[in-house]
Amino acid sequence: MALPELVCPAGSLAALEQAIEHGADAVYVGFKDPTNARNFAGLNFTDAQLARGIALAHRMGRKVLIAINTYMQAGRVPQWYAAVDRAADAGADAVILADMGLLAYAQRRHPQLRLHLSVQGSATNAEAINLAHQHFGIQRVVLPRVLTLAQVAQVAQNTPVEIEVFGFGSLCVMAEGRCALSSYATGESPNTHGVCSPASHVQWLQQQDVLSARLNQILIDRFAPGEAAGYPTLCKGRFEVGGSIYYALEEPTSLNTLSVLPELLRIGVAAIKVEGRQRSPVYTAQVTRVLRAALDAAGRDDYAVDPAWMAQLTAVSEGNQETLGAYHRPWR
Amino acid sequence: MNPDWLLPLRRIAPHLPEAPAGFAVCQTLNLVARRLWPDEDFRWLQGKTARLEVSDMGCGITLGHNGGRFIHSGKAADVTLRAEVAGFTAMLRGQTDPDTLFFQRKLQIEGETELGLHLKNWLDTTDRSALAGMMPGPLARWLQP
Repeated sequence: MALPELVCPAGSLAALEQAIEHGADAVYVGFKDPTNARNFAGLNFTDAQLARGIALAHRMGRKVLIAINTYMQAGRVPQWYAAVDRAADAGADAVILADMGLLAYAQRRHPQLRLHLSVQGSATNAEAINLAHQHFGIQRVVLPRVLTLAQVAQVAQNTPVEIEVFGFGSLCVMAEGRCALSSYATGESPNTHGVCSPASHVQWLQQQDVLSARLNQILIDRFAPGEAAGYPTLCKGRFEVGGSIYYALEEPTSLNTLSVLPELLRIGVAAIKVEGRQRSPVYTAQVTRVLRAALDAAGRDDYAVDPAWMAQLTAVSEGNQETLGAYHRPWR
Repeated sequence: MNPDWLLPLRRIAPHLPEAPAGFAVCQTLNLVARRLWPDEDFRWLQGKTARLEVSDMGCGITLGHNGGRFIHSGKAADVTLRAEVAGFTAMLRGQTDPDTLFFQRKLQIEGETELGLHLKNWLDTTDRSALAGMMPGPLARWLQP
């Protein structure tokens, strides 16, 4: 059985090197600007770093995919066009795009450049994916994390486009490409500025071992002494609703698909993606190593999840729990 | 978790003036900066001060950048990253990532979060094998277990 590509995150050249060393087939990266959805201070690639990363990856027979997956903003369209041009000039193996105007530009300007429809493109059914295929020639789609395994299979059977699914990483409310929640607190959202919780709006305050997180002055969570903390995003905050304080939207959780890898292989997905360009090279190394071992094993009949893999992934997870997310969902 | 040789240091460190250690660290950073961070202009640190504080040693250093060189600062820091020796050690040796330490409440950030994020990502994405290459043998081996 052909194995899917293992696609791993790199927020820096050091992380890209780790991904390649530990067995990623492809590494996805972004530029240092709002054209990608992990536009964080001190992360991402200059053109010189990208050139070094692509040279290394190609020398090792691996691919580099460049995420330009935010939405073009009025008056600043040339910045997104330029990002596509830079990716093409650098020799990227594909660009991961969401904005239809940008897809059209990339197809027109760089007909040889491989196009992937980003998870931010929010295409959850074969009709939407096929439309993007007809109009822009997309060759792969990254499926939003809202589909059950049966639905992933259904989509895969009805499109000629390669399917990429998330295999591991922090979960959000999974309204990818359609989430503007953080803009209510900060005026900025992932689609427009490439960040959920812009760091310039985040305040952490530690008082008597109680850690408070505020987003633009709004208290979004308070962690008791010793309690695990999470990213300061609105969707994972605890709020008072009907007299009780709880995770009113969702609890910090990580997606972990080790137990369903053989099913994903049977469905014929082309790639398994790891979330986390905001994380450290150490995270990229740890998660890539585990997913590489698991994927190689999943191609064999006697596949079983090694408890050591689970322990290693749990150690780097956000939140106290892991889930199969929508892949396994008894309700519809 | 902390090595024994730290015990006497922990007793003395809080009583020592910070300036000599701060100058030494900045001098070292200035020596290796061009080779270690060739693409970095440190504009994000100019006019700002950032503090690395070792909580179980009761000491730390505060530094800034003047556009050309790292400079030690005695002023209150705009951002502080605080962890125990064990936390900083694990990060330095590439044994754990800062976000995991943060989730576990073993790394604290206080002050300007964006500056802190920049500082964290700068330290975290430093090429550790290149850094080890500039260190004397035992230190290099310790850095790359």
